[in-house]
Amino acid sequence: MQYLFLIGCSLFFIGAIAALLIRPIKHALSIVVVITVLALAINLIFALMRLIALPMVTDLFPVFSDHASLFRADGLALFFLLVITTVAIPTVISTYSYLQHYLHKEASVRSFLISFSLLLLSTQLLVFANHSIVFLVCWELMTLMAYLGMLLEKEKEEVQKGSFIFFTTTHMATLFLYIFFFLLHDHFGSWSFSDFHLSSSMGTIFYLVCGFGFLGFGIKAGFMPMHFWLPWAHPIAPAPLSAFLSGVIIKTGIYGIFRVIEFCSPLPVWMGIIILVVSVFSAIFGVWYALTQHDIKKLLAYHSIENIGIIGIGIGLGVLGVSYSIQSLVWLGFGGALFHTFNHAIFKTLLFLGSGVICHNCHTRDIEKMGGIVHHASWFVGLFLIGSIAISGIPPFNGFMSEFLIYKGFFNAAAALGNYFPLLMLLLSVGLAFVGGLALVCFTKINSIMFLGTERSSLQSFKVSSTEYTALGMLASLCILFGIYPQSVLGIISSVITFNHAGIIIQPYTMFTHWEFLTVIFVSVLLTIVCVVLWKKFNTNQRISQAWGCGYTALTPRMQYTASSYADEINSIASQTLHLEKHVTAPKTLFPQPSHFVSHAEDFSEKRFIAPMYKYIMNKIDSFEFLSRTDIRFYISFMLIMAIIYGGIAIVWPH
Amino acid sequence: MATLIFQGLLPFLFILGVSPLLVGLINKQKALLTGRLGAPIWQPYYDLFRLSRKETIYASTASFISRLAPVVSFSVILIAGFMLPIGYVRPLLSFSGDIIVFAYLLGLARFFQILGAMDIGSSFEGMGAAREAAFAVFAEPIYFFTIGSLAFVSGYTSLYEVYLSIHLDNPSSLVFIIVSSISAFFLMVTECSRMPIDDPTTHLELTMIHEVMILDNSGIDLFLYQYSSYIKIMIYGIFEVLFFNPFSLHNQWLGFSLFAILLLLLSTVVAWVETMIARLKIKSIPQYLLFATAIGILNLLIYTFVR
Repeated sequence: MQYLFLIGCSLFFIGAIAALLIRPIKHALSIVVVITVLALAINLIFALMRLIALPMVTDLFPVFSDHASLFRADGLALFFLLVITTVAIPTVISTYSYLQHYLHKEASVRSFLISFSLLLLSTQLLVFANHSIVFLVCWELMTLMAYLGMLLEKEKEEVQKGSFIFFTTTHMATLFLYIFFFLLHDHFGSWSFSDFHLSSSMGTIFYLVCGFGFLGFGIKAGFMPMHFWLPWAHPIAPAPLSAFLSGVIIKTGIYGIFRVIEFCSPLPVWMGIIILVVSVFSAIFGVWYALTQHDIKKLLAYHSIENIGIIGIGIGLGVLGVSYSIQSLVWLGFGGALFHTFNHAIFKTLLFLGSGVICHNCHTRDIEKMGGIVHHASWFVGLFLIGSIAISGIPPFNGFMSEFLIYKGFFNAAAALGNYFPLLMLLLSVGLAFVGGLALVCFTKINSIMFLGTERSSLQSFKVSSTEYTALGMLASLCILFGIYPQSVLGIISSVITFNHAGIIIQPYTMFTHWEFLTVIFVSVLLTIVCVVLWKKFNTNQRISQAWGCGYTALTPRMQYTASSYADEINSIASQTLHLEKHVTAPKTLFPQPSHFVSHAEDFSEKRFIAPMYKYIMNKIDSFEFLSRTDIRFYISFMLIMAIIYGGIAIVWPH
Repeated sequence: MATLIFQGLLPFLFILGVSPLLVGLINKQKALLTGRLGAPIWQPYYDLFRLSRKETIYASTASFISRLAPVVSFSVILIAGFMLPIGYVRPLLSFSGDIIVFAYLLGLARFFQILGAMDIGSSFEGMGAAREAAFAVFAEPIYFFTIGSLAFVSGYTSLYEVYLSIHLDNPSSLVFIIVSSISAFFLMVTECSRMPIDDPTTHLELTMIHEVMILDNSGIDLFLYQYSSYIKIMIYGIFEVLFFNPFSLHNQWLGFSLFAILLLLLSTVVAWVETMIARLKIKSIPQYLLFATAIGILNLLIYTFVR
């Protein structure tokens, strides 16, 4: 069965070669999409078959039996493969219609297809890597391919800037990971993941390794002080790539954090507390910054930070569970985190793909200029709405289910740990409830401003192709399935956690609540809705008339509520923290004069932390300007000098 | 068997049947307190009957959201009502963790109410929706600081069991319950759009939340919205009253009549508060809600250390 995975992986190479060679470009596009979807489907089947048979498989890849340490298919890796392939299939399907708009730029489309195929491949290999160098190569390849994919519209200045920020920031993360793995290698004398066993009794090395690991993976995942690259990179990436970026690539950071946690045993309590605090902070401020945004993709990027925060809360609870060895808490925490990882991948992909469709039809990303889309494409709006409700964590969709697990984790921790934990857990649950409330405001905002009411700028037609409907429909039905029948994934998650925490005997997930009650509730809500709708249909006479305008008949679309006025009620409360600035030029005389209003929010960490640091580093680098010469001989001598220094260090290094 | 049938039917009868009566009682007492004769206590039933026969008018800008929103909000609030115990009776839907499902189901209702209001594209509804959304964010923590803190203290996660765990015999827990119930009363006032947050009787749109959101709804849609707002008052009323309902009372008829008396008392309190207090300025509502949150936190801190 391992050959299945090999076939799947090699198909990506075939896809990349096809993207390079086949002419005309139109055929190349369809062939590559078909090959890639086929490859992903094969890998999905592989992941599912392995996951179902999980307790029985060995953790080695028999194909690579000679170098058994290079790749390893354990529970966590298979689960992430499942996540990647599940959301990559709709993404690739919608790539087909997304790229139709760019067919005139042949070279760009070809390079996008090649980098996207290799991106998919490297991400899947990454989660299987068991050797540090293989991991780093896949990691680097993933970052580079994502960067190249972002350059589809490279002539635009914002694309150049955003992709550069992505490139540099993720390379900072890679630098930290190099240090992380070198420290591990230095200490354990092995590159293999299975040989790393950290414990806090090791002293400084433990803190250093954990610090660099969490920093490196945390930047990639987008935890709050290190999140600043997300709002730059997501808006400029092509929609399928930003979907993949948010759905999968930032999840590799979560995957890395899971691995770091796995290396450590026993886990210290403070680690759990730190993860919890950072995560709640990310969740609350991620969603609050999202509320201030008008750019649909930037807004969704901030929501990724919020959801990473929620995943982090789950991980923190799991860490507490491991360190106090409370089995149910381990399950609820890590299970909630894994389930939310999956769920977030699904609905965020749905929303980003949807935003791509919207941006193409409205030719803008500014939600203040949209409106009335529901009158053109009500099915599309319905699908986007499902994603929105799911991401706000509202039942009966999947986002609620994973948050439910995390809430259960809070209650469980409070009951099992006692001491000051009930208070801490209560505060955390209030924090999560607050995040839910803000997410509700944010998603009612974008749905109502973008879709409802009347058009703020004229919109002739709103085209959604059948491939896009297929992709969105697949994702939306997964949202519904996992919401109404969560048991379908919970079993898999159970076996993953049991597999990766061999020391802990995990109770079956049916212990925690009567899952069928949730299904009963949601089904009864749906039934009631259907009954009332039917009753309404047969029982009323209806008429269509003008909306009430308080006697004023010359209403224009510009008089509708805007996104900033909708969110102002709540944003103005935290205007200091959010750096929310409003510039108003009000008419001063009785007669109409030009007037305008602009409001925008600046990112706290970017303004106070990243930008000054960048400026400082640039100033320092400027002081080395005397080294820059026009003569190439200088550079050659610099290189020689550096080589001599490195060689000297290598000779005298104690070994 | 008879008891089982009774237990199954009671929530339906009570939630669907008695909710309008509670509102009628509040309105009647309020009228009496302000020296008017007032409408009969059956007036909400007449209103509902009248609305159900009226023609439904949709705005020309309305989409399927407007047609769906009242239905979703009604159905969800109704089902959420079945998760609360009526008197001492075990609710229809009760399982560990329902405390969270309850809060989030009401979130679903709110999501659709807001979308339904924004669907018209009118600034009036927009204003109401913006206020509803903003105040809901501040109301959510109150829920967790009252009933949630009870759950954290008792270790149960089902509403029925949480209420079952309340004991009024211990003075420190009595104080804890009383202060929690005050926070919960603030929550009720906010969620049900009563004074001093919102004024359900005036028709000055600019100053209101709930009424302005349903400005363009009529006929059957207005019927559903009104009915769900009545049910919501009943839900939060039960929510409040159960703090004081001694579950240890095993005589079912005595327990049930005590429950009814407490609900009656609650309606008097609401009417009295609405008579005595003027509506707050919209600007100061967040402070009011944060105050309720703050007493919740203080209360919990004190209880944790005194216990």
